[in-house]
Amino acid sequence: MIRRTAWMWVGLALAMAALPQLGGDYLIGLGITLLMWIALAESWIVLSGMTGYVSFGHAVFYGLGAYVMVVCWNNLPGWAGFLGAGLAAGLFALAIGYPVLRVRGPYFVILTYGLAELVKFLIINTEAALGKFGRLVFGAPPLATLYYLMLGLATLAVLIAWTVRRSRLGLGLAAIREDETAAENAGVPVARLKLIAFALSAAIPGMVGAVMALRSSYFEPLQAFSPTVSFNIVAMAVIGGGDDAPGPILGALFLVLLSELLWAHLPEVYMIILGLLVIGFVLFAPEGLHGRLQRLRRP
Amino acid sequence: MSSLLSGQLLFAALATGGLYALVAFGLNLIYGTLRLLNVAHGEIVMLGAYAAYWAMTMMGGAPLFALPLAALLLGAFGFALYGGLFRLALSRPALMKRIEGNSLLLFFGVSIILQNAVSLVFSASPRANKADDALIAFADIQTSQSRLMAVAITFLVCLSLAIALKTSWAGRAVRAMIQNRDAAAIVGIPLDRLQAWSFAIGFAVAGLAGALVSLFEQISPFMGFPYTVAAFVVIILGGLGNLAGSLAAGLLLGVVETFGVAATSANWRSILVWGIFILVMLLKPQGLFGGSRR
Amino acid sequence: MLARFSRALLVAAGLAGLGGTAMAQSAPPVKIGFSIAKTGLFAAAAPSQLTAYELWRDQVNAKGGLDVGGTKRRIEFVQYDDQSDPSQAVRIYEKLANDDKVDLLLAPWGTPHHFALAGVLERLKFPMVGNSAASSQLRDIKPGYIWFPTSAIPDRMATELATMMKGQGVKTAAVTGVQLPFSIEIRKFLMPALEKAGIKVVVSQEYPPDAKDLTAVLTQVRNAKPDAILSLSYPNDSVGFMTQAKELGVSAPFQFVLVGPTIDFFPKMFGPAADGLITIGHWSPHQKAWPRAKPFFDAYVAKFNARPDYLDTALAYMSCEILEQAVAKSGLDREKLRAAIAGGTFDTINGPVKFDGVQNAITPTAFLQIQKGEFHLVWPKTVATSDFQPRK
Repeated sequence: MIRRTAWMWVGLALAMAALPQLGGDYLIGLGITLLMWIALAESWIVLSGMTGYVSFGHAVFYGLGAYVMVVCWNNLPGWAGFLGAGLAAGLFALAIGYPVLRVRGPYFVILTYGLAELVKFLIINTEAALGKFGRLVFGAPPLATLYYLMLGLATLAVLIAWTVRRSRLGLGLAAIREDETAAENAGVPVARLKLIAFALSAAIPGMVGAVMALRSSYFEPLQAFSPTVSFNIVAMAVIGGGDDAPGPILGALFLVLLSELLWAHLPEVYMIILGLLVIGFVLFAPEGLHGRLQRLRRP
Repeated sequence: MSSLLSGQLLFAALATGGLYALVAFGLNLIYGTLRLLNVAHGEIVMLGAYAAYWAMTMMGGAPLFALPLAALLLGAFGFALYGGLFRLALSRPALMKRIEGNSLLLFFGVSIILQNAVSLVFSASPRANKADDALIAFADIQTSQSRLMAVAITFLVCLSLAIALKTSWAGRAVRAMIQNRDAAAIVGIPLDRLQAWSFAIGFAVAGLAGALVSLFEQISPFMGFPYTVAAFVVIILGGLGNLAGSLAAGLLLGVVETFGVAATSANWRSILVWGIFILVMLLKPQGLFGGSRR
Repeated sequence: MLARFSRALLVAAGLAGLGGTAMAQSAPPVKIGFSIAKTGLFAAAAPSQLTAYELWRDQVNAKGGLDVGGTKRRIEFVQYDDQSDPSQAVRIYEKLANDDKVDLLLAPWGTPHHFALAGVLERLKFPMVGNSAASSQLRDIKPGYIWFPTSAIPDRMATELATMMKGQGVKTAAVTGVQLPFSIEIRKFLMPALEKAGIKVVVSQEYPPDAKDLTAVLTQVRNAKPDAILSLSYPNDSVGFMTQAKELGVSAPFQFVLVGPTIDFFPKMFGPAADGLITIGHWSPHQKAWPRAKPFFDAYVAKFNARPDYLDTALAYMSCEILEQAVAKSGLDREKLRAAIAGGTFDTINGPVKFDGVQNAITPTAFLQIQKGEFHLVWPKTVATSDFQPRK
């Protein structure tokens, strides 16, 4: 049973790897979008799924990564911008993590949103002071290259989520989610574990942002730090369900394919249908797609 | 800067802050009594603005007719949404387990439905009520009649809500619910009815706020989100479920926005607002005035 | 009752279908694809462009269809919501070209989207006439498959505006504006241009896009009593600026508002208080030298019961006219079409248009003034439909 599931995932990864050979630009583009959301949502659950600290501001890491990339572009080699983006996002999480992760519940939700807004406005102000009015990126790598970068990031994110969940770190994080005070009393180093989870969940979104800046070949802070990014991550992770690697994959797959389908046939009302579906999901499958599937498999 | 002592700035701070407080009231009422995070709150403001636009520009009504109408319509909508969706949601134990996260998603769904439904009906093009009323001046303050009226209504409504919560039976019952739902149920407070009323009153006040906004600003189906954000900042600053705290926090935000900009420069506005918000959160993780007890 | 109603609907649908097939029997329809921001940041701005497309499609179809190198074919739109996200627009245009196999493309709304698409069009070898994009950076785009009919390019606008102000005897100016790409770019070129024209900037303030209360900024402007007030704002804060300036009694003989006044609701909202405002725009229905201008205006008002946006709608419609005239000559072959657009001179509602590289080489950078609720071109003299009138 387990082996069959494992083979299924390997098969999926191989199919994704072969996609640029099979499909045209459109399919590759769709693949990049799908992989982007998988990478982002997987990163998100390392913090929010496993500890219960729901981040509503993951766009900050995505935006920071994009910014680092466009600033480095043409000044440094591309790989430096790419790695720099991940490093900057991770370091930023480490720097703010300790005080921020003391705030709990809904306060944490809005605090993370506020952090993303603060950074956005700081960068808007900086760009305005520099007299920069949106940065164009010329000479971005070809689509297939971006696709493989994104595939790498998505795979890495899935592996991180999967490994963390099955490690001592994951056990500690689950203890924090169930009862933080009790975990602390039992000797779990809660502050350190939360900080590690935060940094882990920040680094990959930074690199995803860097790739997407090249993909759209344009950077503008209002777009790059758009709260929509944060919202979509949460929606996909929750719809996918659970705190384990398969959830976000299912959630991202579902929402990306759904919007693609509705787009084509019902461009006027697809957002309304999307809204209805989100409501339906919460009402009838609050455990998420992954949880639902597991329940079906074990009668 | 010498201009910091101007009445004009104080008036602007009251107008802006009062509106923030008014918008935040409904959000806090619904969170306090039901633990629901209503991210569609700004869309209720938007609906109120469209109701007023419809009554004033399309039907030719006066503001004093449009404002209560918007409140009434949105109040009814609050009732309907509670009865049609949230009563069902609240009856599911699996959903209640993580009610804050789940309610956030439910309202997220409601919010995109409302935005796009209004966009289908009215089109996404921005619209506006006429803004050609007379100007008035008192002391060193200069403003328009409708702005003065809006400020007066804002404070009148905030004040009467505060008094009603303090003195009336329903108000005390609501405060009991905010403090401890289970205990409130045990002493015989009719939770379901009060929850429905929380929705109705919360939405009515937000609708009124939207109608006031429509007197000064352009309206569009996507105008709601900034109000959702402002309302959340206010209720988090003031402490979740703490209705008096959120009034104070709304005014504080107004003061930061006007005097903060006057003391520094306009490009610092949002950095100041978010910076102060984050600083408060880090120093007082339960808000300035403490949250409600769980 | 309900059954009868639905039967009536069915009959109506059937008739419409029949009409469609009868028309299309001669030749298959031409599929024209584009993305449009139905949700997100630009959703409120994009209808100004979509309405132009719809008007054009209906007009062409009423004439029997689009002239494709001699054959008349009906126009059919394939459109998707890009959620105001440039990377989404990129994906949509790839889909339009490869998957939907559209015959022609129209532009999405906004500068970032145009920039993001330039590379895609190059790769697809698919020509597209842009419209609602303006930035000096567009000259960095390799000429080839994208063109920009606008003449409201920030650096040219800045010098023209300063020259115009100097001509009106402006000595001091207050410059306020929002921190968005277009306004930042204009400010960057405007400041040195004002200095060169000998105009002293007495107040200079920038505010973030979510600022609501501008009292502090406006009292500063009021105290400085400048000859000119330049508000480099977007629709949202243009309204905020106007309402609050009116309340505070802030006004100047020369008052400029960047984006917003040309949108239908704006003059309706402010009535006489908007009189005398200057704004960007190079088109007006009052220009008799452009015979297509007034009929377009009238047809638009008749169809939508609102006025077109003098900037965006006019530009969007121009891009359709250019495409229409190029296709009549070249047919649908993409390379021939590219050559036709790049080399032709087109007769538009804004007069003749010819491209030099990516830019419109004929239409001058111009300014509109609201005079008694009407939009008149007041600068430059070559296209002016009225004289500049100082604001009261």
